[in-house]
Amino acid sequence: MFFHNYKYALKTLLKNKALVFWTLAFPFILAIFFNLAFARLHDYDQFEPFDIAIVRDDAYNNEQTFAAAFKTLTSGDERMFKAKYVDFDEADKMLDEEKVEGIVYVKDGQAHVKIKGNGTNQTVLKMTTEQVAQMSGMIDDIADAEQQRAGGTLNLIEVKMKAAEIVQNAQPKISDDSHVMNVVSIEFFTLIAMACMQGAMLSSEMLNRCLPNLSHRGKRVAIAPTKKSVVVLSNLLAGYTMLLGSVILLILFMRFVLGVDFGDNMGLIMLLASIGSLTATMFGMLLAVMFKMSDNAKQVVVLIITMVGCLFAGMFGGMKIFFDEACPWMNKINPVGLITDGFYSLLYYDDMTRFIVNALSLVALAAIFFVLSVRNLRRARYDSV
Amino acid sequence: MKNVIEVKHLTKSYKQNKAVDDLSLAVKEGEILGLLGPNGSGKTTTMNCILSLLKYDAGDIKIFGKEMAPDAYDTKAKIGVVFQEVAVFDELTVYGNIDYFCGLYIEDKATRAQYVEDALKLVGLEENKNQYPKQLSGGLLRRLNIACGIAHKPKLIFLDEPTVAVDPQSRNNILEGIKKLRDDGATIIYTTHYMEEVEILCDRVIILDHGKIIAEGTNDELKALAKIEEKVTVEVAELSPKQLSGFEKIKNVDSVSYEEGALKVVFGKGKNNLAEMIEYLKANRINYSRIFAERPTLNDVFLELTGKELRD
Repeated sequence: MFFHNYKYALKTLLKNKALVFWTLAFPFILAIFFNLAFARLHDYDQFEPFDIAIVRDDAYNNEQTFAAAFKTLTSGDERMFKAKYVDFDEADKMLDEEKVEGIVYVKDGQAHVKIKGNGTNQTVLKMTTEQVAQMSGMIDDIADAEQQRAGGTLNLIEVKMKAAEIVQNAQPKISDDSHVMNVVSIEFFTLIAMACMQGAMLSSEMLNRCLPNLSHRGKRVAIAPTKKSVVVLSNLLAGYTMLLGSVILLILFMRFVLGVDFGDNMGLIMLLASIGSLTATMFGMLLAVMFKMSDNAKQVVVLIITMVGCLFAGMFGGMKIFFDEACPWMNKINPVGLITDGFYSLLYYDDMTRFIVNALSLVALAAIFFVLSVRNLRRARYDSV
Repeated sequence: MKNVIEVKHLTKSYKQNKAVDDLSLAVKEGEILGLLGPNGSGKTTTMNCILSLLKYDAGDIKIFGKEMAPDAYDTKAKIGVVFQEVAVFDELTVYGNIDYFCGLYIEDKATRAQYVEDALKLVGLEENKNQYPKQLSGGLLRRLNIACGIAHKPKLIFLDEPTVAVDPQSRNNILEGIKKLRDDGATIIYTTHYMEEVEILCDRVIILDHGKIIAEGTNDELKALAKIEEKVTVEVAELSPKQLSGFEKIKNVDSVSYEEGALKVVFGKGKNNLAEMIEYLKANRINYSRIFAERPTLNDVFLELTGKELRD
C-alpha cells in the first residue's frame, strides 16, 4: 500500500507542470541568469582593478579592521580596486562624473556602498564590501572576546594583522583559478537554498491530497481502509524524492555545466541540501495542516516565504549584513539562511563547527515542523469537509 | 433482511444551524435507498457523518453491525463512495485514476487489474482508458468519478448526486450501472434532488428537509401521502373565464388553472377522470390539441408536506 501510494504520488508530481516549473525549472533558469550576470567574474584574465572612492572620515577611521582590510584590497599587484581617499562630497562628484565606479563609506558604524548602475564592477564592489564588512565584524567580535579573556592586554595592531591575514586568505579564492569567485558562489548557494525551500510546495500539495478537509481527492483517500500515517508518509516521501532529485540535479548542473566552485566538499554540500530539503518538506506539511487554502494560494505563500528568506540570506545584495545586525536571530530560524550559511562555512572555514550548527538547526526546525503537523493530524475529525 | 446501516438520533450543527436534526434511519441489505431533498436539506452532511468524515454532535452510527469510526478499516474496506464533486487526478489517465483509488483497497495487482477492467466496462469507458480527465466530456468525467468509487467492488455504496450536470446519454449509462451494482448484491444509498431518478431506481425513499426526515417509504407509499389522485393537462388555445370556471364543476376536481395555453386540472380522487374531462370538452365544444394525465410525483408529495418544490 505504501509503495502503491508512493508510486502514484511521484507520478502525479512529475506530471504537475506548475510544481515542476517552480521546483525544477525556475531554479535552473535563475542559475543560468546568475551565470550570465556573473560571467565576466569567472574569467580572471579579464578582471582589472577599477576606480573607487573611499570616504575617509572619522567614521571610516573608527572602523579600523574594515579600513585595514580595504587597504589590503586596494594596494599591491593583486589589488582589486584603485582607491581614491576623499571626502563624501568629492566622492559624490566623482561618481556623478563617472570617474569612479562606486563610493565606500562608513556611517553609524555600518559600511555602505553607493553606486550608479548595475554593471559587473558595481556588483563586485558591493559584494566585496559586504563580505569585508561581515568578516571585519566577526574579527572585531573575536578580538573583543580575546581581549576580555586576556584582560585587555591584546594589541590593536595584532587585530589589524589578523584582519589583513583573513582578507589575504580570502583574496586568493577570488583571484585563484581553482577557487573562482567565492563572492559569486554565495549567490549560487542562496539559489540552492531557495530551490530546497520551494520544495515546501510539493509536500504542501501532497498533504492537500490526503486530507478530507483540504480536497475532494482527500475525502476519497480518507474513506479508504488505508492508515492515515501510511498515506501521509508515502506522499511526503514522494514529495521529498522529487525535491531532492531536483536539488541534486541543480547542484550538478551548477558544478559541471556552469562551473560554479563548491570547493572539495560536494559530499557535504549534498548532505546539507538533503537536510535542507527535509526541512522544506516538513515546512510544507505544516503549512498544509495548519491553513485551509487552495493549492495555488499555498504555492504563492511558499514562494513569498522563500523569497523573503532569500532576502534575509543575502540573495539580493547587502541585506544579509543588515538583517544579521538588525535582528541576528532571523537567519538562525530562516532555513534559507541556515542552508546558505552552511555552504558558505564549508568554503570559508576549515573548522566544521559552523556547518554542523547550521545542519543541526535545520534538523531541529524539521523536527519542530513535523511534531506540530502530527499533533494536528492525529485523530483529526473535521467540522466541515 | 438485516440492516447494513443503522443511524440513531444523529445530530450535526454548523454553529447555530442544525444541518442534521435527530435523524434516525436504517438501510436494509441489498436495497437502494434514496435520500431525497432540496439543496441544503442535509443529505450530504448525513452521508459524511455516516462515513465518519465529519464530527457530529450526537448519535450512534453502525455499519455492518459495527460502530463506525475513522479507524474502522475493516468496515471501510467494504464501502465505496462516489462524491458529488469529481475527485480525480488530472495527471493520471482514466485507467491510472481507477487503478490508484482501487489500489487503496485491493493490494493484489492481478485482482486489481481485473477490477479496473470491470469498472471501466460498467461505466462504459473502455475506449477512453488511456485518455486524461481533461480530455473527457462532463458526462464521461462523472462516469470516471463513479468508476473510481466503486472499482473495488464494495458491498455498500454511497452515491452523492452522481448525475449532476450530465448529458442524458451519460445519465442513462450511470443509472443502468447503478442497477447492475444492485443486481450484483450491493446495498446503495443514493442521494439526489432528481425525483425522477429516485422513482426509477430506489426501493425505498427518505425525504429530508432541514436535516429532518419528513417522509419515508416506497414510492407508492409516499405518493399515497399526496392528496391528489391525478393531474390532467389540456393544451387549449383559448379559454374564456366562463369556460374555465365550468371545469371546477366536474366531479372530483380539486383545482383548475390556465396558463400559457395549458389548462391544468387536479383531481383529488376518482377513477375515470380523464374520460370525464374529454366528455366535458366535447360537450362544450372546446378545441384542444393534446390531453394527458399524470399520477402524482414525489415532488407533489414534497410540495404537499413542505409547501415548496424540491428544486426551490
